[in-house]
Amino acid sequence: MLWQKLYKWVDDRVQLRTLVEFLGKKYVPVHRHSVWYYFGGVSLFLFIIQVVTGILLLLYYKGSEELAFESIQFIMAKVPFGWLIRSIHSWAANLFILTAMVHMFSVYFEKAYRKPREITWLTGMLMFFLAMGFGFSGYLLPWNELAFFATKVGTDIAGVIPVIGKPIMIFLRGGEDVTGATLSRFFGFHVAVLPGIFTVLLGIHLLLVQRQGMSEPLGMENSPPAEKKTMPFFPNFLLRDLLLWLIVLNLLAILAVFFPWELGVKADPFASAPAGIKPEWYFMFMFQTLKYIPAQIWVIDGEILGVGVFSIAGLLWTLIPFWDKKSARGEQNRFINYIGLFAVIYIIILTTLGWLS
Amino acid sequence: MRRFALLGFVTFAAVLSFAGLAVAQDKCLTCHETIEDKPSTLYKHDIHFLKGISCAACHGGDSKSEEIEEAMDPAKGYIGVPTGDAISQRCATCHSDPEKMKSYKSTLLTGQWEALQESVHGKLAISGKEKIGQCTTCHGAHGIVSAKNPASPVYPLKVVKTCATCHADASFMRLYNPSLAVDQLDKYRTSVHGARNAKGDANVAECASCHGSHDIRPVKDAKSSVYPTNVPQTCATCHSNTEYMKAYNIPTDQFEKFTTSVHGKALLEKKDLGAPACNSCHGNHGAVPPGISSISKVCGTCHALNADLFSTSPHKKAFDDRKLPECETCHSNHAIVAATNELLGVTKEAVCSRCHSSTENIKGFAVAQTMRSLIEELETSVAHASTLVDEAEQKGMEVGEAKFKLRDARQARLQSRTMVHSFDEEQFREIVDKGLNTATTVAGEADEAIAEYFFRRIGLGIATLIITLLAFSLYWYIRRLERHQSKAG
Repeated sequence: MLWQKLYKWVDDRVQLRTLVEFLGKKYVPVHRHSVWYYFGGVSLFLFIIQVVTGILLLLYYKGSEELAFESIQFIMAKVPFGWLIRSIHSWAANLFILTAMVHMFSVYFEKAYRKPREITWLTGMLMFFLAMGFGFSGYLLPWNELAFFATKVGTDIAGVIPVIGKPIMIFLRGGEDVTGATLSRFFGFHVAVLPGIFTVLLGIHLLLVQRQGMSEPLGMENSPPAEKKTMPFFPNFLLRDLLLWLIVLNLLAILAVFFPWELGVKADPFASAPAGIKPEWYFMFMFQTLKYIPAQIWVIDGEILGVGVFSIAGLLWTLIPFWDKKSARGEQNRFINYIGLFAVIYIIILTTLGWLS
Repeated sequence: MRRFALLGFVTFAAVLSFAGLAVAQDKCLTCHETIEDKPSTLYKHDIHFLKGISCAACHGGDSKSEEIEEAMDPAKGYIGVPTGDAISQRCATCHSDPEKMKSYKSTLLTGQWEALQESVHGKLAISGKEKIGQCTTCHGAHGIVSAKNPASPVYPLKVVKTCATCHADASFMRLYNPSLAVDQLDKYRTSVHGARNAKGDANVAECASCHGSHDIRPVKDAKSSVYPTNVPQTCATCHSNTEYMKAYNIPTDQFEKFTTSVHGKALLEKKDLGAPACNSCHGNHGAVPPGISSISKVCGTCHALNADLFSTSPHKKAFDDRKLPECETCHSNHAIVAATNELLGVTKEAVCSRCHSSTENIKGFAVAQTMRSLIEELETSVAHASTLVDEAEQKGMEVGEAKFKLRDARQARLQSRTMVHSFDEEQFREIVDKGLNTATTVAGEADEAIAEYFFRRIGLGIATLIITLLAFSLYWYIRRLERHQSKAG
């Protein structure tokens, strides 16, 4: 058959057999929490979708104050299937952050960050922050009213950080205000800087996952090998991954057709901000928290306190493999579960409140 | 009758005697009369003198003392000639006190000083020490008489000159408001109001009738009686008063009609300051009804294109020959309603049919008929295109460009309504054809967008079917593979 001939042709040159044998010997643990393993793969799939649709959008998008909005309008109305590509890009971006978030929390609750997977966790967390950066920078690119003011509010918040806040804000905006200069650099971050760093981190992350295999839940490690259920990574797990990817692809198509991503009205820097400016949903819990914090707490500015607390919490969360010694020793750590549970409930409640307000 | 005359004489004598008695006690006047100065001479005709009010009421001091040092002793409150705001403040000691005014049996309203301070004349003068206007600026000082007295400077026949003392003085007005015209009196004299006023009719409008007296505010002040949205009501104060207008034999329904008109609704309901008030067409200080041949020019100050087209159309001569008021003949005057298609054409309601019929003025009849059918065709096309664009937009389709073009079609529709005033079929058809072509293009684009909407759904259905088939195949393959694996191992 043609397929076998082609395989042999490649195998003769690059020894594909070795790779297939390696993958064939790689096993994925099977247990009642195995379902969470798939979220990493789905996130990867959505990232690939982002790259492909992003490159297609780049063929027509023009990153300038005068042309950005009109170029998206052109993509949506004139470019064949432009509407589909843009809507999929927008929907996949949101689903990507959602699945990455689920993946992060599943890893957290499974304590999969413990030795020897600290670097995998670190690269994953950095990628998660970069994904939020992708979202923040990409949101401005259509240069519409909502995006313009949301970026203004978002960068204003960065500006409240003492000492370094103002320079960061000016660096992000390319000046004192959100202007065409902000759009240009956000475009640069979105299509060059962030993807470059992300690709390196993703390479390390995937390499480590392949090298170290999937983490087993605490307690399962010590079970006798006979009692451990596993499944070959190739082809069983990979085929299941593919099946899920197909379903996600179909979901994306449905979302793009029934809920095409709106473009809104072109940003007017001289207009007053419309009512109800809200950030993207993944920033909502932080934004809503800042709204609830009083303007002044003792001698500290409320906003600075809020930003400070979130920064410290984010840092502690990222560095968890280094301070959760109990899990590293293979012992159960309920404290970590309670923190995680609190974080999940907090995010859900504050996001809902922000959505309703 | 004689009895009444006698009673009147006795009352008048009693008042004079009372005033004389009071004067007899007013040593200020006694002395000043001897030197025959102007104030004391004038004061004998002053209403305050007749009410028994002494000089000391304004100047302070002891009016009962015969000794000059004692009478004019600052310790006894003598202030000499009041200056600046002190003048009005002295007047206000009585005129702002209802009880005091009642004691003089006065029916005058109180609070003039308070109103004056709020008014444009109550702003600081260039000296920075006093208000621009004081009571004496308009009423005079020692010879003050009732405003109803023809000798008063604020009597309707005289007030226009009193106001003009400052308002017609370009060098004085330049100090306060260089952009304000100084020809109000000249214009006023050309108006119906001014002409009648000059002939001695004290009932026609003069400055105070429209601007108020003590509470005059700048025209741009929304509280001003001559602020655009207040003008119709101000004019209506007299012009809607049937009793008041009876003597002039003119209609009194102008305001009522204006409120129902397109202009009245825009001005009074929507508060659109660009809409005309009475003075926009009639003039303000030089108010007269526009002449028959100048109506199109008056309307043309806003409706410039319509007026120009009309002036160059064959109707101009025809209307002038028949002494028909131009715009008014078709659109009416105070009761102008939004122009609808019904005005045009040869139906019963159409204004064209008043002069044109199938037997009389046939050419115009045919043109009116064609214009009506063309304008209706254009409206139908624009409405159809608009509906399709809305539908496409509701379906979530991007129709920004079509919406932009739709504005051109709507613009053509507006232009066609203006072009009616050329009464030229060729020019009119050109505009309508432009609009029809644009509307057709827009409708086509909207149709395509709607078709694309359904195409997307069908496409999604096919894609979903293929993906589902693939997914099931994959699922089946995994099941088969794992069955083989479990058998093998």
